[in-house]
Amino acid sequence: MKHISRREFLTSIGVAGTSMFLPKDSQAWKSRAPENPFACLVDVTRCIGCRKCELACNEANNLPEPEKDFEDKTVFEEKRRPSDKAFTVVNRFFSNKKQDKEGNLLPTYVKIQCMHCQDPACASACITGALSKQPNGAVYYDVKKCIGCRYCMVACPFEIPAYEYFNPITPRVRKCTFCFERISKKGGKPACASVCPTEAITFGRRKDLLQIAKNRIKQDPGRYIDHIYGEKEVGGTCWLYISDQPMEELGFPSVPKRPIPKLTETIQSTLFTYLWSPIVLFGVLSGIMAINKHKEEGNEK
Amino acid sequence: MKKIIFLLTMLCLVVSNSYSSPDATTKIRKDYHPRPSTWVPKDHIKALKLAQKKYEFVKDVFKEDIILRQMRFRHLGIGIKDIKSTYMVLQSPFVNTYEDIYGPVRFMHGAHAKTLNENCVICHHYSPKDSPNKILPCRACHQDAFNPEHAGRIGLKAAYHQRCIGCHKQRQKGPIGCTGCHLKNVPDHKKLVKLPKDPTPTQVTQECLRCHKNAGQEMLTSAHWLWRGPSPYTVNHLKCTKHGKGTDVLNND
Repeated sequence: MKHISRREFLTSIGVAGTSMFLPKDSQAWKSRAPENPFACLVDVTRCIGCRKCELACNEANNLPEPEKDFEDKTVFEEKRRPSDKAFTVVNRFFSNKKQDKEGNLLPTYVKIQCMHCQDPACASACITGALSKQPNGAVYYDVKKCIGCRYCMVACPFEIPAYEYFNPITPRVRKCTFCFERISKKGGKPACASVCPTEAITFGRRKDLLQIAKNRIKQDPGRYIDHIYGEKEVGGTCWLYISDQPMEELGFPSVPKRPIPKLTETIQSTLFTYLWSPIVLFGVLSGIMAINKHKEEGNEK
Repeated sequence: MKKIIFLLTMLCLVVSNSYSSPDATTKIRKDYHPRPSTWVPKDHIKALKLAQKKYEFVKDVFKEDIILRQMRFRHLGIGIKDIKSTYMVLQSPFVNTYEDIYGPVRFMHGAHAKTLNENCVICHHYSPKDSPNKILPCRACHQDAFNPEHAGRIGLKAAYHQRCIGCHKQRQKGPIGCTGCHLKNVPDHKKLVKLPKDPTPTQVTQECLRCHKNAGQEMLTSAHWLWRGPSPYTVNHLKCTKHGKGTDVLNND
């Protein structure tokens, strides 16, 4: 039998490994995004910071009463994140670019909640399938399947899911539900969108909303910057934003344009096609064992 | 002299007795200027009726430049004289889309038209396509929100709020908060308040503070608590400085 050197052996494994990573049509990652789901378009320039969306969300989801009343504007003094007690929060931002005639800074209010990604990283990371992308667009959380591993919280690029740490027996992951029950009914709208007094939140089908957003930007180019946040971010989200400032300056993370699960799922699936990686692993191990045994026998002689 | 003093005290007693009610626990307040039972606010009832009037949805609108439109209307002589109702109640099912926290806005149509230099097109920006000279109310075009057939056209609630708040902000005139225009729909406190049968004043205050948590602290910084000056609007005590809460009405010094 021809003797294989260590270097040759490792090179062959490397070649075999990389060839597995190369895209093949049969194994290429496919988006499971619904084609035209429900979506919401947030027009940041329309928001007046009345916090009625927070109030409606609180009522619709039976959340506990907040420490500060919903009419209390002092909450804007610090930046807030969605939590297990509030699925959506409005933050206030000031920018030097927005001033009135006397030079007073004008506020920009931004509502944040789960973005309901088209290819959600949280659902991909979820090992029990408790989080799933529904055909109507909602990233749905099934508490019965959840084991509380909190991988979703690590995976989410927008850092949205929150956890009921105070509840030791039956904790849940909490995040915006897209008012799943409400929008499942015919003509149903999310609570925040239907309460909003200025229609800063427009509810509809994603393709229609993208068209509306493009029209608004086209008709009033001085008012908006030409970017729909969520159109391509992380492969597309169901919550879209148009604004007069870059969204990165309004507390949003800069995220890649590709779907987050694309890379992770490709690595994962290629690692286990035809069970090649375990075979290689055990092959290497048995090789090492054989070499060691050979050495030992040589030493004994 | 003694007789006179005695008579006076007797008179005082009689008078005070006649004012005090037989049952000490029930308070009777007399309305010095009662509203006549037949009186109704006629303009308000008219406005409420007008708010009920339904308009057929205008599908297509005649779009034109806002300044050209203003000039056209000036030439046509359309202006403040064509206003049929100067007072309106902005009440519509299209507005109450979710909650019932606030009452309808009472809108001074005439006063707004006057302050906007009789320029109707600031609010009435479009007309129906087939009759470009017609001025219709907001709710003829703006009705349901998120209508997929008329994408991009905002609902009535948003139309009102965007126009009102936008204009008030731009001109730095008029309210931009909720309660500046709306009256709050206060929930029925008979159902909310839970008190024992004969509550003490402290119990009542504590019951109020159960929900209105900040009200107690706010009260301590207000003139109601700190006032030490005269009471110019209190009948018979116009120049009296002792009746401020900061002095002797409450022992809070």
